[in-house]
Amino acid sequence: MKKTVDVSVPLGPMHPCWKEPVRLKCETAGERVLKTELELGYMKKGIERIMRGRPWQEVMFLAERVCGICSVVHNMVFIETMEEISDIPVPPRAAYLRVVVNELDRMASHLIANFSYCYTIEHETLAMYLLNTREIVLDNLERITGSRINTAYMIPGGVRFDLLPEDAAAMLADLVKVEDEMKRYVRIFETGPLIALRSKGIGFMSREEAIRSHTVGPTARASGVEDSDLRLRHPTYQALDFKQITRTEGDNFARIMVRFQEVFQSIDLIRKCVETLPDGPIRGGGLCKAGEASYAGEAPRGELTYTIKTDEYGRVVDIAIRTPSIMNIEACAHTMIKGATSIADVTSTFISSDPCVACNER
Amino acid sequence: MKYLYEKDLRQMKYNILTSTKHDEAVRAIAERLGMSDAKLRMVLIRRFDMSLLENLESRWQMGQRHADDGDPVAKGLGYELFTRFIPLVDTETMQTIYSDTTAMTQEIPFDEAIARGKEQIREAVLS
Repeated sequence: MKKTVDVSVPLGPMHPCWKEPVRLKCETAGERVLKTELELGYMKKGIERIMRGRPWQEVMFLAERVCGICSVVHNMVFIETMEEISDIPVPPRAAYLRVVVNELDRMASHLIANFSYCYTIEHETLAMYLLNTREIVLDNLERITGSRINTAYMIPGGVRFDLLPEDAAAMLADLVKVEDEMKRYVRIFETGPLIALRSKGIGFMSREEAIRSHTVGPTARASGVEDSDLRLRHPTYQALDFKQITRTEGDNFARIMVRFQEVFQSIDLIRKCVETLPDGPIRGGGLCKAGEASYAGEAPRGELTYTIKTDEYGRVVDIAIRTPSIMNIEACAHTMIKGATSIADVTSTFISSDPCVACNER
Repeated sequence: MKYLYEKDLRQMKYNILTSTKHDEAVRAIAERLGMSDAKLRMVLIRRFDMSLLENLESRWQMGQRHADDGDPVAKGLGYELFTRFIPLVDTETMQTIYSDTTAMTQEIPFDEAIARGKEQIREAVLS
């Protein structure tokens, strides 16, 4: 006779599917997951503590080291918070260049997120295709900023380098290639019967649950949360006529598809930026002053908030960083995974929320 | 049974709760419940896992915005706030407290009934 037993299944901290160490403890009854508990603390950096008392010029470089995947947006949100404190204007050309670099970073982040998902559900071919395409995106990031990951591209009142016409042309040619390849990959993902079996209806999170745990970014948008993209409120994105992508299924499939759709949207935004790039300086200058501000920007994973207090020399007296993964990982552990009908879906559901443990533990 | 890989997480949980934003949230929740910050921290460390503690501030914010619209008794007690947003009390216990408080509002002034209801919530949180 078949027996159903209650088992506690610990996943991690070292797990082939995890990009970073985290421990997920699942209480199960047979195959059904009853409860999950998350254990962090394997890579705590204490970066907020390190930032305190340092001049903004040092904190700027520390900010992008919070996360190795979406480092550009950490740089951008930190700098925009400093600009808000000190009332520093940004030249229009610099604002557009910031969007170009930020969208390239978003594409790289979404591609690695979807790579991880495909790898987790054992579709290694598609996973490797996506990783290969990400290289083209990173090459373009390097072409503009001089670096693939920690770019330190944005500074108060502008950006560090201009976009040369030949670089812009090369980037646009690369984006055509990326778009063509992505169309094929999305078709593979959308029509794969085994992918559907592992993704559709799995890891469901309702709109109400998403709001309750303050889920943000593609994870929230896949559950139908409207007005959850901060780019809607950013003046440069408003000028580019940005529209939020939303799906209503709320499952693993929807979360991955939102990221795929956002890659195409990023390509369009970059094209628009290059076409309408205003002439003028890329640096306006300005002095960082004493003050306090809380500012949020849309990272690839969702709302990223920096709360900064500075002194008269521009030193960071106090800082609090709220990363999107804090909300998304919690929602994933306590909503999407809880009640899962198969323990085999835990890893793929966890990865579908694009968890960044480095951000979570900052 | 004690497993070798089970770690004592209390210190790390305490570190999460004492960061700038989390500390503000803990103080606000403690004030709403009418209990000391230290006691609330102790309860949170005992009951919540690390990810829920990290997300405490956001959940508190969302609870302030979306929980308990309409019913004044539920709003006064923080029915949804302390069961769904900050899960400190289980739904059955909260339902009992809510029913008791609603009955009390017929007999004694509203504020006094809510104060008594809150007392029961405090007991449930600390139990």
